[in-house]
Amino acid sequence: MGNADLRDIAAIEDVSFDNISGVVAVDAHNWLYRYLTTTVRFTPEEAYTTRDGEEVANLIGIAQGVPKFFEHDLTPVFVFDGGVTELKSAEVQRRREQREAAEQRQQAAEDRGDTVEAARLDAQTQRLTDTIQETSRELLRLLDVPIVEAPAEGEAQAARMNSAGLVDYVGSEDYDVLLFGGPRTLRQLTSAGDPELMDLDATLARHDLSQDQLIDAAILCGTDFNEGVSGIGPKTALQSIHEHGDLFAVLEAEGATVENAERVRSFFRDPPVREDVSFDTTVEPDVEAARAYVTEEWEVDAGEVDRGFDRLADAVTQTGLDDWA
Amino acid sequence: MFTAIVSASTLRDALDSVSVLVDECKIRLNEDELVIRAVDPANVGMVDLTLEAAAFESYEADGGVIGVNLGRLEDIASMADSGDLIDLRLDEETRKLHIQIDGLSYTLALIDPDSIREEPDIPELDLPAEIVPEGAQIDRGITAADMVSDYIRLRVDEDEETFVIEAEGDTDDVDFVLEREDLIDLSAGPADSLFSLDYLKDMNKAIPNDAEVRVELGDDFPVKMHYDFAEGLGHVTFMLAPRIQSN
Repeated sequence: MGNADLRDIAAIEDVSFDNISGVVAVDAHNWLYRYLTTTVRFTPEEAYTTRDGEEVANLIGIAQGVPKFFEHDLTPVFVFDGGVTELKSAEVQRRREQREAAEQRQQAAEDRGDTVEAARLDAQTQRLTDTIQETSRELLRLLDVPIVEAPAEGEAQAARMNSAGLVDYVGSEDYDVLLFGGPRTLRQLTSAGDPELMDLDATLARHDLSQDQLIDAAILCGTDFNEGVSGIGPKTALQSIHEHGDLFAVLEAEGATVENAERVRSFFRDPPVREDVSFDTTVEPDVEAARAYVTEEWEVDAGEVDRGFDRLADAVTQTGLDDWA
Repeated sequence: MFTAIVSASTLRDALDSVSVLVDECKIRLNEDELVIRAVDPANVGMVDLTLEAAAFESYEADGGVIGVNLGRLEDIASMADSGDLIDLRLDEETRKLHIQIDGLSYTLALIDPDSIREEPDIPELDLPAEIVPEGAQIDRGITAADMVSDYIRLRVDEDEETFVIEAEGDTDDVDFVLEREDLIDLSAGPADSLFSLDYLKDMNKAIPNDAEVRVELGDDFPVKMHYDFAEGLGHVTFMLAPRIQSN
């Protein structure tokens, strides 16, 4: 099920930052990617490029994005992806091709002097380089923000941490969190306004589905890991799951096949995740060390990150009365 | 056993001070007073309320505990004019509260007290500063602070002997200085703490403008605010945990 399909059936409501608090397991790649694309689009390239030509727009993104959590009484835990799932290699290949096509169009736009188009396409060509992977972790460590390394998909790991009660929310833009069983997902944490809350139980209740049936319906429409059945959209998928009971009964009735159906299904039901994660949510950032790391070691323009670090230094957290009992 | 007759305004003032923090609460029906103690779900704000038997037209109780939905009870109380008397009688058999207001009878289903959050222990705090403004002055400071920020800073300037209410917004700042002579009383001490306006605004709603509010304050400590209502026969203490710098 593509993201648009899942959005159609997901139970999503606008919430106010005033009414949410707790620990949120952030799908790190998803989050970073959003900041990378906006940073690259709106910031002069020199601001985040070292003399050696290394691009570290991620450091600007983190400095600008992390304060928001603390200002709203949310403690982030960043969950990084492990290896690429074999199943997903087709999707990764597709994204690489898209990126290469964008790179070519971007060069063409630059050549004809269309700077707006060039900047837009440049944002699409962003990827998480080794430098970005390493410096993101190091900056988060200096900020004392906990990090969890997932064995595979970060969002699957975050979803499991949420369902196991280790965190209050998953933070991701990706609707797949529903398929991985994440109970409560905050979306649009990277946007200016208030977030959206996507609720798994409410989604299942609204469509009278079990978790397994939701996964089956998604596989029929197509996911990051499989092509869907041609002609089946979310509405039809839900209907036929209700009618026939599960994925294979629907496929048999339709005379259709889905490649790797059994593997994709068990991947969503039981994705590779670590159960033994632990992290310290008492966050005591060393703001000055973080500032020095970004502006001196990685030569990022101080003007791009000062406000973010100042916000972090000023961030205050709500205590509880039990702290004084 | 519990039967009581109380003026609508007294009952409403009592309920208002609790409903700003919680939706449900336990009410202790002691022989000589009615007591409510509740903390909000995030454990940030607390209320401790006592209404003496003498605040009622009549009051008879033997130490039972009932659980109520405050919104419902407030709705019922709002049916009365402020001069009206409200007649309350607990039916032990059915665990319902019978309420009569000027010919109107209402039967309120009670909540199992065990299903309501535990009443909080009150932290024992010896706070170094005590300021006594009027409710209206607190209201003025909070209203102004709310225009620029989500937080409010309360502090005592020991040299100037003033009570200062401040708020810093992204662009605008507010400060409101109360001198010793503006206040009913002030005993200065090291006191400077930051609070969430969300909570303080709600508590402020319950504080009458003409009440003497005894504010106890410390340095990065919870604040306590005490005031009386029902002609000195009802007593409320609010306690609010501060926001502190995380590093």
